[in-house]
Amino acid sequence: MHEVSIALSMLDIAAEKCRESGYNKIDSIRLKIGRASGVMTDALIFAFDVVKTDTIASGASVIIDEIPVSGSCKDCGRDFVAEDTYVLCCPRCGGMAFMINTGRELEILDMEVS
Amino acid sequence: MAKVKVVTRILEANERIAAENRKVFDEAGVYVINLMSAPGAGKTSLLEKTIEGLSKRLNIAVIEGDIAGTQDAERIGNLGIPVIQINTGGACHLDANMINEVLEELPLKEVDLLFIENVGNLVCPAEFNIGEDIKVMLLSITEGDDKPLKYPLMFQESSALILNKMDILPYTNVDINKIRNDASSLNPVIKIFEISCKTGGGMSEWTDWLVKAKVSNQRSAGSEKLNTDS
Repeated sequence: MHEVSIALSMLDIAAEKCRESGYNKIDSIRLKIGRASGVMTDALIFAFDVVKTDTIASGASVIIDEIPVSGSCKDCGRDFVAEDTYVLCCPRCGGMAFMINTGRELEILDMEVS
Repeated sequence: MAKVKVVTRILEANERIAAENRKVFDEAGVYVINLMSAPGAGKTSLLEKTIEGLSKRLNIAVIEGDIAGTQDAERIGNLGIPVIQINTGGACHLDANMINEVLEELPLKEVDLLFIENVGNLVCPAEFNIGEDIKVMLLSITEGDDKPLKYPLMFQESSALILNKMDILPYTNVDINKIRNDASSLNPVIKIFEISCKTGGGMSEWTDWLVKAKVSNQRSAGSEKLNTDS
């Protein structure tokens, strides 16, 4: 629901990093987005397409690496990757004593600039 | 064309301001509760009852977050405590910067407990830290027992879940045990209270817990500060 504010933050971070590195045009931005981050990737790309107008990122494409929800279970001692967005119990043994390791990411990884 | 490494969390700016807010709160000795729920669950009623129960023991202040209007701030203002209304003008949640901008308007040094009533929404508020000590979620039982599994993040992020409108339980087909079990599966340490803002039932369990949470926070203030700075 707040993909526009996320797109604006993304633009600020990318534009600053681009200028810092001595370039003035962003060609692409690669993001890491966890499946449980709460962000709808389609809505984020749409929002970014709107906010990038007339900025140094106006021609930038967005590439998204989607990260699944994964964790480790203390009951069975094994790691798991979940099919669902949210994990209620260990998908391997049904145990409740598990830790979530990935799935909440919302990061800019790198970008191509010129 | 060149490749530039960024590796920055997109909400980093919000996290940074949230940490600044937290520092201001810690230095002033204010315990901050980010109160979240769907619209109409009874957040302002809960605050009215909580203030009624605690205002003799503690100095309380409130920040009200709404998309528009000042009705909530007027209700709280009637109780004679400091209150600030933030209108987000459409945004679905409060963020750290909105809180940062109003901090100077509150007499923080004289405040023990600050409640921040977030915008009524079960989704977005859970994703933005605003510098609070704890998140507390209110669910009115008429919203249905399917809510923990439909909106898991808020249940996972909250330290306490308050079930409101328990007085009308007999007229509903809500399964309170299902809410309790599902919320506890999502968040094994969540503390659950059953209350009615209308009758006042269950309020003292909640307020007692809150006072204890504040006191134990004071005791561990040294280590808390280390966490904030790291």
